Amino acid sequence: MNRRTFIFAGLAMALVIAAVAPFVASSNPDGLEGAFYGIFGAKEIQGSELDENRAAAAEEEVTGITGNTFSLDSPFPDYSIGGLAKFGEAAAVIIGTILVLAIAYGLTRIVRRPE
Amino acid sequence: MHIPDAFIPLPQAAVYWGIALIFIALSLRWARKEMTEDKIPLVAVLAAGIFAIQAVNIPIPWGTSGHMMGAALAAIVLGSPFAAVFILTLVLIVQGVLFGDGGLTTMGVNILNMGVIGGFVGFYGYKAAYPLFRNIYPAAFIAGWLSLFVVALVTAVEMALAGTFPLELGLLSMGLYHGVIGIIEGSITAAAVYLIHTARPDIMIEPSKVAVAP
Repeated sequence: MNRRTFIFAGLAMALVIAAVAPFVASSNPDGLEGAFYGIFGAKEIQGSELDENRAAAAEEEVTGITGNTFSLDSPFPDYSIGGLAKFGEAAAVIIGTILVLAIAYGLTRIVRRPE
Repeated sequence: MHIPDAFIPLPQAAVYWGIALIFIALSLRWARKEMTEDKIPLVAVLAAGIFAIQAVNIPIPWGTSGHMMGAALAAIVLGSPFAAVFILTLVLIVQGVLFGDGGLTTMGVNILNMGVIGGFVGFYGYKAAYPLFRNIYPAAFIAGWLSLFVVALVTAVEMALAGTFPLELGLLSMGLYHGVIGIIEGSITAAAVYLIHTARPDIMIEPSKVAVAP
């Protein structure tokens, strides 16, 4: 496979993954969140039922422990684009993917030693 | 495994940021030294692919899910742990700033965990596992699994230092969940290494020859 085909095949795969991600991804808490909810009594460590009220209380409780109340209002929180549901999320992940591509490409070009 | 702001007190978050910045500087030095014209698009596509695959949360037992981290993959394909630091830093900046995935005060610790520790464990795990199999795919699987598992245990220790998790229960639950999520990490790492190696055998550096210097 020549270099150009290889790069475009890789890019195509990344974009396909980005587009389908919100439709196939699990909305369960991730490993760290799962451990957090388990430790703060919102779920059993080896159980799968999440107590939503306890989960919300746990989030307040942990802020009290660490005293870190910092919070950034990100433009697309949790990969959501206002009111567009799953298609908005797909668009958000695609935008993110292209942005990472552009930054990585630009930065490597800038830092690279001229020959 | 993105740590949100609320999980770590500010002074500790600042210390982790300081350590992360040192490794970010070293990763920029790696990029400056190692970047050749044909490697630039590979780095960019790998970074984009890792961002995309991190959005795919795969369900595991116990009502939980996990996603690929990608540090071992980046380190293996580009032949340096600093490649993982470089790529994961970019991915984490975009995730944290644009999508609120992982905190901003905790971005330093997330870069330290997933980029630095994930990258180094993935890289050396690959080097150590390769002679056992004389085959890059099981070595890539082990590197992927180990990188995720070690990062999870380190995160549990950080959570204990922060006062957020008790140490023993933290290690136990983080270890349990990420022992399983590591299978996802290892499998996708091995599959991606297979695809890249099959398409372009010239790109991957032989494990015995991989360089370490930044």
